[in-house]
Amino acid sequence: MTTQIYWQLDASAEPHRSEPSLRAALPSLVRDLRKPTQNRYDYYAQIAQAAAQTGFDGLFLPHRREADDTRIVAAALAREVPRLRLIAQFPASSGSAVYAAKQAVSFQRATGNRLGWALAPDADAETRAAEGDFLPGDELDDRLDEFLTVARGVHGQRPFTFQGKHFEVQNGGFEDPLNRAAFPAVFLEGEREEDLGLSARHADVHLFGPGSPEHLAGLIEGLDGLAHRAGRQVAFGLIQPILAREDADEAARDAARSTTAPGTLVGSWDEVAEGLAGRIALGISHLVLTASPQLEQAYAQGQQLLPRLRARLSARAKAA
Amino acid sequence: MAIDFHWRLPTHGCHSSIRTHNYDRGDWSPADDHRIAPGLDANGEADGHAYIDHLAEIAKAAESVGFLGGLIPSFPNTDDPWVISPLLARETKAFRFMIAFQPGFGNPVQVARASASLQRATGGRSLFNIITGGGGPAQLWWGDSFSHDDRYGRTSEWLDVFRGVWNSDDFSYKGRFYQVEHGGLPAQLRAEEFPEMWFSGSSEAALQVAAKHADYYLSWLEPFAQLADKFAKVKERTAELGGEQKCAIRVDLVARKTEEEAWYEIRRGFENVSEATRDQWRARAGDSVGAARLAALRPSEASRWEDLIIAPNLWGGFNLLRGGPSIGIVGSYEQCAERLDDLIRLGADGFILAGTPHLEEAWRVGEEVLPLLGHNAQALLEAAE
Repeated sequence: MTTQIYWQLDASAEPHRSEPSLRAALPSLVRDLRKPTQNRYDYYAQIAQAAAQTGFDGLFLPHRREADDTRIVAAALAREVPRLRLIAQFPASSGSAVYAAKQAVSFQRATGNRLGWALAPDADAETRAAEGDFLPGDELDDRLDEFLTVARGVHGQRPFTFQGKHFEVQNGGFEDPLNRAAFPAVFLEGEREEDLGLSARHADVHLFGPGSPEHLAGLIEGLDGLAHRAGRQVAFGLIQPILAREDADEAARDAARSTTAPGTLVGSWDEVAEGLAGRIALGISHLVLTASPQLEQAYAQGQQLLPRLRARLSARAKAA
Repeated sequence: MAIDFHWRLPTHGCHSSIRTHNYDRGDWSPADDHRIAPGLDANGEADGHAYIDHLAEIAKAAESVGFLGGLIPSFPNTDDPWVISPLLARETKAFRFMIAFQPGFGNPVQVARASASLQRATGGRSLFNIITGGGGPAQLWWGDSFSHDDRYGRTSEWLDVFRGVWNSDDFSYKGRFYQVEHGGLPAQLRAEEFPEMWFSGSSEAALQVAAKHADYYLSWLEPFAQLADKFAKVKERTAELGGEQKCAIRVDLVARKTEEEAWYEIRRGFENVSEATRDQWRARAGDSVGAARLAALRPSEASRWEDLIIAPNLWGGFNLLRGGPSIGIVGSYEQCAERLDDLIRLGADGFILAGTPHLEEAWRVGEEVLPLLGHNAQALLEAAE
């Protein structure tokens, strides 16, 4: 399977851009005719266009409490980038699994099945309380399990009846034409035993965080075994922050100047491409790349890094 | 004073004519040479369009012709308003997205975030038709097993929380159904205008919630005297409870150049009603009080279309021709405008109008009926000032 490469669109990043109340005022010397209808979504749309025009396969939208809802952002962009897949991350505490599935199906019908569902890792207890979620910590995995069981159930079966601890459905299930849309690909993450167990049962793709190739290889092997025993196949993904520049010195200089996320791959285009190709060779088929600022880096990485990475992947495919 | 006119987006497909009953717009019926959005190309392959493309056309027609926006209904086999609205946000300019939503289906904090995000995506063009649920098997289909009065209690608390996190960055709440500790939307989202709330529901439980949370009280069309009585009671009861309600009506129109042409559409539509459709309407059940108020009228039992004329220009068999309420307005452009003026005199402050097909009728009603409005009502309003 060819590797799907996504660009991360983080709604909370570069918060001043196109945010009418936060952008710096221009000096009065500069005639400013910007309109109130120009807003933050214009910036999201620019990033989406950048990713589309530079050859990414999709966007990954992480859930951010301090920013716009990812499923709203994904839908608002979907018709402007008709080729990109849109992986929206949201928490399982968002409400009814039936309703979430129904919204997903609508999205799929309107976009030619381009939606992906990434279930966000549960927040800490304080944050959950602020979001109206008082479920005890030891029941969160259970809820996610039921959420996905019910969402897939109403999509795929009719009549569907389920009596769980967190969700209940009687005689449910979608009818034609709603049940003809594909269920969104489910992306889960985490390295706890429980996370891997949930993925073995429910995930289409398990997303790992950055780590050494040895560490990743171990996780992949473990989850592959779990999924196999559950009679399923899970694809593997990686969310990878990168800081790639024309040469290694420049990359090292920029890395020293900025706060880089833990595990960031720093180096020349070729070095980073090599690092990514090595990880893909471990069995990664979904790669989420992230760099800052998102717009400029979508162009930089899309134009410089992606061709180098794809050349390596096709060379390896030929060699194999 | 001005009256709000909204249109409606059909979320379960649309018919190309009210005379026929096959959903030939959208994929709720099998693909054939006539069906569109999606349709078939010259080779018999899917043409790449989706139903959202047709909804986009209707929204653009409605905003062009002067409707403020449209109601986007939600039922088990419809597309969803929370998805339709952002999908169309950036290609419409003025259309207000009225999301039909049952509050129990989402965590109020998460839904507040989604709602504020949608306000940001649209420049403040979203609003709600809050529905508390018809009950019966449909609620269990949705995975909601709450009783009728509990659902209203839940709606009330849900709106307390929804509003609370919108208005404060440190909001705590301890209710029967919802609790929050130190919640609040981020500042950029809180800065958005709080969306207008249109309510439905005829029971005392519904009115208590409406008095506290609603901007508009929305009713299906009922016989005029009955509706005037209902609006008066709603306004009186909600005033007692400390609220202030504007009232709005959701009604379909068949407007034509002459009354005769309008009734001809109804006659043709009625002649095409199948026994299966009648059975379907006979089988509808639930614990909605609003539906029970109209149940005394039994269009599915009528054998002649004329038997369903319940007042001048009012026909009670619309639910045989398409899903939704039974009573609609039928007449010439002038008559339709007069009946709407009558309703404004009886206390209507807003409307959700619709006609089939929704696209062409948006243009027709907008161009032919809206300009005639106010000949009666305006004189009355001026006299009152």
